[in-house]
Amino acid sequence: MSRAGSGHWFGHAELPPPQAEALHRARRLEVVTLLYMLTCVAVVFATAGSSQAMKTAWVEDSLALVPPLAFLIAVRLGRRRPTADHPYGFHRATGVGHLTAAIALLTVGLLLAVESAMGLLRAEHPPIGTVRLLGHTFWAGWLMVAAMVYTGIGPFILGRMKLPLAEQLHDKVLYADADMQKADWMTAAGTIAGVLGIGLGLWWADSGAALLISLSIVRDGWTNLHYSTTALMDERARTYDDARPHPLTDRVDEVLSRLSWVDDSRSRVRDQGHVFHVESFVRPVSGRTPTLEQLEAAADVLRELDWKVHDVVVVPVRDLPETIPDPR
Amino acid sequence: MPQVRRVLLAAALLLLAGCAAVVPDDFPADPDGTLDRVRSEGVLRAGASPRPGWVDVADDPPTGREPRLVSGFADHLGAEVEWTVAGEEELVRLFEAGEIDLAVGGFTDTNAWVDKVGLTRPYTEAHVMMVPMGENALQSELERWLDTQPTAGGRP
Repeated sequence: MSRAGSGHWFGHAELPPPQAEALHRARRLEVVTLLYMLTCVAVVFATAGSSQAMKTAWVEDSLALVPPLAFLIAVRLGRRRPTADHPYGFHRATGVGHLTAAIALLTVGLLLAVESAMGLLRAEHPPIGTVRLLGHTFWAGWLMVAAMVYTGIGPFILGRMKLPLAEQLHDKVLYADADMQKADWMTAAGTIAGVLGIGLGLWWADSGAALLISLSIVRDGWTNLHYSTTALMDERARTYDDARPHPLTDRVDEVLSRLSWVDDSRSRVRDQGHVFHVESFVRPVSGRTPTLEQLEAAADVLRELDWKVHDVVVVPVRDLPETIPDPR
Repeated sequence: MPQVRRVLLAAALLLLAGCAAVVPDDFPADPDGTLDRVRSEGVLRAGASPRPGWVDVADDPPTGREPRLVSGFADHLGAEVEWTVAGEEELVRLFEAGEIDLAVGGFTDTNAWVDKVGLTRPYTEAHVMMVPMGENALQSELERWLDTQPTAGGRP
């Protein structure tokens, strides 16, 4: 390979130095996230009392442990070389992690939404009394507000640090995690609003805030479920944030058609998690069979496109397969 | 969910602004205004359930350690106690109907009614008093007052 290697691998794809550096930072950030969120879970649990919004925030904080764990496990598995039993390597571990995180989000979001809605319907008045700490008696709501300020700050910073790494590594679990965390401060703000609402004698503020928070969890879960399942179903590769089809899906046929011996081509590009699997069916000019050198050169041209394009199959055919629709 | 987030943010800012204005006097507040009513009408409607060593209902009004504390709290609020003697379940019903403001009966913090009534922070040996659910001004006032009572600690 002509690119400088980094000694870090995803299966048999060697990471270029910037990606290797990004991977190193991402793993460190996810370990920091895990430790930080564990302290948040403990702090919120200790102060939650009978506020529904606090309980909802606690569950969300506990759930926030899943994506970093999924990322760390998936990256660890994805590094393994392909084996006889796993000829495509272990890249799909990312997809499984993504799906797991999505289902956790969706299920818990729905449960919490129902619980908060029931609280509103039954007109539950959450009791928050006082606490006695170090010889002072004060309203327990202030402790909850302080806990939520603490849990709101970390994700706000960590999410923003992880977002660019998710793009560099083309890691959707990391992206889902960063994107959720980026918005996590609103959960904290909503919970604070609910608790202060109770303090003002607005009993519905708490369940109301909890309902809005749980709806945003449901929304996160649904979006992630959609994209993780379609990726596992071999949808055409999409960008790291699933915003649009990945530009490489078009570039593949573009660079193939520039080769002198190629008349036309049709390719399938799927995302295995980090790396892409490319199958290109190539029709040579005037039906002449290409040489082995030409075929190898074609595969190399594709690999040169991007570090993600690694598992490449180039097949010369008489007619382009009709079973593959034109992606354009 | 951008709309939801905007709403959450707006609500947070609004409440923060609102709180800054009211925090000094009336915080936390009672959704149903129990504490204000006790103060303005001068009547604390208390329930008592018999429990040897804590609440004795042989006489009228009830006597014993907890009724004494209730009388002290009523004095603190400038109110008279109006007693209702009943079993635990009936007292919970009276709370839900909004007919009593406070109840004693040697209850502890492992009480089974925790979903239906508010329980104070244990003031001695896990013992608590019942207040209406979510009447946080009354609950906080009572807890603060119990903290100041030397007689609340120790064995009966």
